[in-house]
Amino acid sequence: MIRSNNGMFGSFGGRYTPEILTPALMELERLFFSLRDDPDFWREYQTLAQQFSGRPTPLTPCERLSKAIGGAQIWLKREDLNHSGAHKVNNVLGQGLLVRRMGKRRVIAETGAGQHGLATAIMAARLGLECRIYMGADDIERQYGNVFWMRRLGAEVIPVATGARTLKEAMDEALRDWAASFEDTHYVLGTACGPAPFPELVAYFQSIIGRELQQQALSQIGRNPDSVVACVGGGSNALGAFAPYIDQGDVELIGVEAGGRSREEGQHSIRLQEGTGEDGIAQGFKTLFLQDSDGQLGHTHSVAAGLDYVGVSPILADLAQRGRLTPDSATDEEALTAFETLLRHEGIIPALESSHALAGGFRRAAQMSPSEHVVINLSGRGDKDIFNVARAFPHPDWSAFLQRELARQPDFTTQGENAADVA
Amino acid sequence: MLPEKKPQELLVMSHAVVGYPSLEANLPAIDGLVAAGVKMIELQIPFSDPVADGPTLAHACHVALKNGGGVKQALALAEQVSRRHPQVSFLLMSYLNPLYRYGLDRLFIDAAEAGVKGLIIPDLPVEALEPHLPLLDKLNLAPIMMVTPVTPPERLQRISAAARGMVYVVARTGVTGSQTRWDAEFDNYIARLKRYTDLPLAVGFGVRSAEDLRQLRGRVEVAAVCSRYIEWQGKLGSDAAAERMAELCEAAGGMEATA
Repeated sequence: MIRSNNGMFGSFGGRYTPEILTPALMELERLFFSLRDDPDFWREYQTLAQQFSGRPTPLTPCERLSKAIGGAQIWLKREDLNHSGAHKVNNVLGQGLLVRRMGKRRVIAETGAGQHGLATAIMAARLGLECRIYMGADDIERQYGNVFWMRRLGAEVIPVATGARTLKEAMDEALRDWAASFEDTHYVLGTACGPAPFPELVAYFQSIIGRELQQQALSQIGRNPDSVVACVGGGSNALGAFAPYIDQGDVELIGVEAGGRSREEGQHSIRLQEGTGEDGIAQGFKTLFLQDSDGQLGHTHSVAAGLDYVGVSPILADLAQRGRLTPDSATDEEALTAFETLLRHEGIIPALESSHALAGGFRRAAQMSPSEHVVINLSGRGDKDIFNVARAFPHPDWSAFLQRELARQPDFTTQGENAADVA
Repeated sequence: MLPEKKPQELLVMSHAVVGYPSLEANLPAIDGLVAAGVKMIELQIPFSDPVADGPTLAHACHVALKNGGGVKQALALAEQVSRRHPQVSFLLMSYLNPLYRYGLDRLFIDAAEAGVKGLIIPDLPVEALEPHLPLLDKLNLAPIMMVTPVTPPERLQRISAAARGMVYVVARTGVTGSQTRWDAEFDNYIARLKRYTDLPLAVGFGVRSAEDLRQLRGRVEVAAVCSRYIEWQGKLGSDAAAERMAELCEAAGGMEATA
């Protein structure tokens, strides 16, 4: 499986944090290292994932879609069918087991699209933990449905209004909180980024995707797939799906990043391709960051909040540098087209994040023959994107409904700004 | 690295964020701090993602970046102020990435040339610093290492071995700019640190009032009043902030204002 060399993956990774956080990270690392090779621990995790999140998620063949694309057979690994609607819950359930062993009473997390925040709020409610979620103020606007549910679940959602008001700033704020609170608080980092041991730890829990996929492919396809395709924000769903195949060179691994509006600075979130991300050390780890020549981290854009991040997993940066990972990207528009294609051909509503993987996967499948097999990791479902999708595909019915619904909602505007936000 | 001091004297260290409130305002603000009796000044290079700073310094960083603050501007300012105030020690404070992009060795050489006495890099852990020690020693540039109340003994040992000039004592767990108390637990903490290092101790994180300074006098060598000063600078302007600092320097002990 995925193993670092003392926290490093090639020249990436490491632990570059203020000294105050070192003991908490060392405690977490000791615990994780003592458990990760213990088959009983993995079984405990698997059982929890099965009983609480419905795992294993299926591997779904897409006959009509494959015909329409006209190339390889397309299969979907259905992470959208997890409880909470995305792969994020895998990592969170795993970290919940660690929190219980450490005896901490509070959890904090950063979130982009809100899926990780939602999963964390769910875990906190189930384990009876205090929960605070940091979320960029702009991401809150883009994913208010998730914010609504996090608050109903009892989590405190803190809007982060500094900088670009997205995932990067939410992570800064969560690190700040943790520096002051680690004695009774665990930071549930949501992706395979950040200081060691987080990249390795998150990849370990997410590898449940790939471990299932490997078995399912052998029994359903009869062999390994030719290509595995996943979207790459921080990189956790991609690493989860890729994990068992990394050392099997005959399986092509494609990571699809957010091409946004254009290749102009600040208009995309591509970090793994030539001329985009560059070596940097920030947010506790070394990876490819979008940054300027002074080392200030750059701005990013994607229609999918969950892909809108300035850095990338050090594990993926290393795989890309070694040529093991094929980086690809899909623009906002391509993702929306792929979104609709899947909807209409297979009756599955994908998340906008996962729609990037679809766009890349469809493109690759079209170049392949019908005897070949492409697995696309469908990291999440699209219910959360209802407002964004409605804006991308405007329809008078929906707008009229919103007007009527607004009239039915109680009016808090006279009670001061944001009265409705108070949980 | 430390300016000369009397045995019981508590030196006051303060702060400038390069580009805050503006690049032009840095020089007069530093003059004001020196006149107030501040003996050590951190010149902070602004960074887009200052994870170890509280809201005051994080905000100052964002403003400073918009105003064009960066590594080059910090080095130019260091050269200017270290010539102008040879009796004051200037330290460069920065997160790792801007320095890493500039080139660490090149930065060390240029900083020493600009008259900088020490470096504070909060996200550079001791393991990553150690390979640079020979060059830093040659340049007489002190890496100021941080220790915290939760740093385990074997790490204290390693950090003390790499530390030069003084050790930056984080007085509480957390980020800059919150409250701290100076109780028996603090004394135990200081006593514990003194088993590992003979270097002067600088206390930071939560030093905010004249009372704090009176409490610290005789217990440690340096008190860092950083985010409190930047808070005043933001709210009251640099001149009024310097007046407040003069009161603090007086409380720190016997340091009458020089201008």
